[in-house]
Amino acid sequence: MGLFDKLSLWLGLKKKEVNVLCLGLDNSGKTTIINQLKPSDSQAQDVVPTIGFSIEKFKTTSLSFTVFDMSGQGRYRNLWEHYYKEGQAIIFVIDSGDQLRMVVAKEELDTLLNHSDIMHRRIPILFFANKMDLRDAVSAVKVSQLLCLESIRDKPWHICASNAVKGEGLQEGVDWLQGTMAGLILLHQLLTHRDSVAVVISFALL
Amino acid sequence: MIKKFDKKDEESGSGSNPFQHLEKSAVLQEARIFNETPINPRRCLHILTKIIYLLNQGEHFGTTEATEAFFAMTRLFQSNDQTLRRMCYLTIKEMANISEDVIIVTSSLTKDMTGKEDVYRGPAIRALCRITDTTMLQAIERYMKQAIVDKVPSVSSSALVSSLHMVKMSYDVVKRWVNEAQEAASSDNIMVQYHALGLLYHLRKNDRLAVSKMLNKFTKSGLKSPFAYCMLIRIASRLLEETEGGHDSPLFDFIESCLRNKHEMVVYEAASAIVHMPNCTARELAPAVSVLQLFCSSPKAALRYAAVRTLNKVAMKHPSAVTACNLDLENLITDSNRSIATLAITTLLKTGSESSVDRLMKQISSFVSEISDEFKVVVVQAISALCQKYPRKHSVMMNFLSNMLRDDGGFEYKRAIVDCIIGIIEENPESKETGLAHLCEFIEDCEHTVLATKILHLLGREGPRTPSPSKYIRFIFNRVVLESEAVRAAAVSALAKFGAQNDDLLPSVLVLMQRCMMDSDDEVRDRATFYMNVLQQKQKALNAAYIFNGLSVSIPGLEKSLHQYTLEPSEKPFDMKTVPLATTPITEQKTEMAPVASSKLPEKLAPSRQDIYQEQLAAIPEFQGLGPLFKSSEPVQLTEAETEYVVRCIKHTFANHMVFQFDCTNTLNDQLLQKVVVQMEPSEAYEVVQYVPAASLPYSQPGSCYCLVRLPEDDPTAVSCTFSCTMKYLVRDCDPNTGEPDDDGYDDEYVLEDLEVTVADHIQKVLKPNFAAAWEEVGDEFEKEETFALSSVRTLDEAVGNIISFLGMQPCERSDKVPENKNSHVLFLAGVFRGGHDVLVRSRLALADGVTMQVTVRSGEETVVDVILASVG
Repeated sequence: MGLFDKLSLWLGLKKKEVNVLCLGLDNSGKTTIINQLKPSDSQAQDVVPTIGFSIEKFKTTSLSFTVFDMSGQGRYRNLWEHYYKEGQAIIFVIDSGDQLRMVVAKEELDTLLNHSDIMHRRIPILFFANKMDLRDAVSAVKVSQLLCLESIRDKPWHICASNAVKGEGLQEGVDWLQGTMAGLILLHQLLTHRDSVAVVISFALL
Repeated sequence: MIKKFDKKDEESGSGSNPFQHLEKSAVLQEARIFNETPINPRRCLHILTKIIYLLNQGEHFGTTEATEAFFAMTRLFQSNDQTLRRMCYLTIKEMANISEDVIIVTSSLTKDMTGKEDVYRGPAIRALCRITDTTMLQAIERYMKQAIVDKVPSVSSSALVSSLHMVKMSYDVVKRWVNEAQEAASSDNIMVQYHALGLLYHLRKNDRLAVSKMLNKFTKSGLKSPFAYCMLIRIASRLLEETEGGHDSPLFDFIESCLRNKHEMVVYEAASAIVHMPNCTARELAPAVSVLQLFCSSPKAALRYAAVRTLNKVAMKHPSAVTACNLDLENLITDSNRSIATLAITTLLKTGSESSVDRLMKQISSFVSEISDEFKVVVVQAISALCQKYPRKHSVMMNFLSNMLRDDGGFEYKRAIVDCIIGIIEENPESKETGLAHLCEFIEDCEHTVLATKILHLLGREGPRTPSPSKYIRFIFNRVVLESEAVRAAAVSALAKFGAQNDDLLPSVLVLMQRCMMDSDDEVRDRATFYMNVLQQKQKALNAAYIFNGLSVSIPGLEKSLHQYTLEPSEKPFDMKTVPLATTPITEQKTEMAPVASSKLPEKLAPSRQDIYQEQLAAIPEFQGLGPLFKSSEPVQLTEAETEYVVRCIKHTFANHMVFQFDCTNTLNDQLLQKVVVQMEPSEAYEVVQYVPAASLPYSQPGSCYCLVRLPEDDPTAVSCTFSCTMKYLVRDCDPNTGEPDDDGYDDEYVLEDLEVTVADHIQKVLKPNFAAAWEEVGDEFEKEETFALSSVRTLDEAVGNIISFLGMQPCERSDKVPENKNSHVLFLAGVFRGGHDVLVRSRLALADGVTMQVTVRSGEETVVDVILASVG
């Protein structure tokens, strides 16, 4: 990465790109969430079950996200692992109205966390307890208990309730993700490119 | 310095392939950069190119490595680089069958095909349809329907063509898209219209009514696209052929109207369709031919080529129709395109008059060295056709052919020439010596074993009968000294024939044989020893049996009998007469006007029809112990073609029995027939032994029932008999749709036409290549002679044809062809009578007021002679 690129990153002209995996069981609302996050002119009108995966992009104030929106159907879940290496962050979507399959979601989450490509990385995970508007939906706290989220100690995580169809609660989650990612990136750069950062800082001071 | 640069340029190879030395493993290693972020489109593109190159070179990718590369490639969908994305589509299509889980890209592709970028949409559809299977098709059905009627032509065309591919896989789903395809067929874009028509046709092609409706609709409404018109013409001509519709049908009118279309492509397609129609009259051909004539003077080489090629084909069937174009064709002889010139000349050869032959031959020889082998073969075929038409021109042709034979050329080309020369020799006795001389010269330097053995065989057959046989000996013995084993063996056989037929040559042949006995090859030595011993006996009968006339048994049959004999060893020596005879004796290949295909006859020794029957009959327990099958007749129809039940009969002759096989077909879809038997009432002393019924006969599934009849033993001359036949069966009515039969049925019967058994059913055709020798071999012990008057026949040809078909024997020495303008002829017939007795018939015919026939019959068995004479009388 050239000096100019770095400079423009620092000055906020070009946004840092982040790859995010969007996972979760089928019919939990992954594609709908991603669709809501996209700029309104490129949103799809109707959402159909994803087959395989699709790549979507959206931007926040400081970051540019490339999302691998994976299919949640049973027969495709084993294909998730092909993309674990890519992911710098994970969005895990849970249908909070579907208590019956909460255990399935937990099982998939455990498999994910124990995968060799994920286990030893400090990778932020954002949980959406989606479909909070449903009458029999459980609260975000209950979801985190059901999934034993408190046992995740080596990764930053956050859970928030959401209603993807209306777009409620999504911004809170994305803000957290952006903040965490920005922190991680800064930390990473300070650790690896101490010299060039010093140059940039002195540039800025001048 | 400049020089150095040049050298370097040379080394890097101008035009050499940059991908020449690619390693699969290295390329797959490189493919890891697909995983890097950010993506470098230029490098990724290069690697994808390498992967596709390797795939196209036939490099094998294992499933694991292919899957790994495929999943790495899927990440490239992040990039918005157009070229890279389209390269991804190509890779997906290439890897669709070798990688696992290719459906992972389904959503990405559906997104692209419904997206805003038109460049992505068409390719995405094509890639998507490659990775989709029947179960997934439902999921994308909606998108496909939309894409078919999309206003962007490339999208619509892609969707249509992809649907066409998927018809094979999931017909039922694609069938639901007919309405969309129908809409696309009225598109303004010529390609979309063409593709839509193609899809519509393939969806309906099994339903003749629907196809003709569709044709009707489009021929009335008219189309924009010339491609679609061509397709319509093809569909129409196929439909005409299938329905055997007369030329007054509206379809024919449509095709004819296309001759006046403004697109040359359509005009040509229509003309070609008319020309290729079976049984086309001259009047119908005329407009098509005149259109082609116009094309002959077109400035476009492709059109000239197409026209002259089609005319060439017409000339085979209707030479007179093409004569009108002769002038235009003459102009094309000097065409700068050699292919056009060749076709023009060969067409002219077919249509031209005798007087123009010399001139044309001269013109051909001026450029024959410049054309490819394939066209040379066409020229040779034209010449061979010409020889048959104008036998008097054989000397010109023979010269020309021998010149061609000396030129370089491949096997097909040489074979065509040799076949042609052999054809001429057989047609014209006067040309025999020159022809043989040319062939002798050819085998002096011939690298094709097949041709050399063929010519040696011919020399052996024809050489001894020429005025000076000794001059061929040298050529033949040279082969023994110089050539490979197969040729040497053939040469030995040929030599033996000279020795057997020419007494004054015999001592020298014996000396040569002795030399051959020291050959290094087993087969050659064996043959030489065998012939040596036979020749030393100096007995005509032995010569005839073992040198001139080979085995006449069916080879698979012989193999089977010998195998059987080795399995059950017995005291008795192996009896050749138990081996079934070859049904179609190995006749000399007739170089009749057989169109182009003559050189492509299958050369494989397939089991003959009779061998198949033999096997089928042996499987039925009732027919075991009848001995080997002697002869199976051609099927005889016992009903009209369009009746409720169609029955045909095949007569199988055994040593003392006959088995009648009735192939029955039930054409009523509301009936199930059971226990079907054909009852036979013989007129003579034939005795019906047993019936084998066909258990059940459902609608349109043919079944066979059999009847076993013992031939009268006390009266061996009773060879002909008439049977009245009745089919008896149990009818059970059934539902035409489900085929479910009712519980109870009733007996019924159906009267068939009478079945005749004639003398021909007792005689198997056998070819005796040397009839005179065979005649001597049988001897005159049981010779009988009688004279008949055939008052009803008017020509010798007719008489010869009648005798051959009546006796069912093989004409020998080409005596079935009656020379023109002669009023007497001798016909030689050979055969084997049931039981394995050779029968020879010499029939002298004289044409006076009607035909007088003197028949001489020889056989090893007296009764056989009587049978023949009795049946003729």
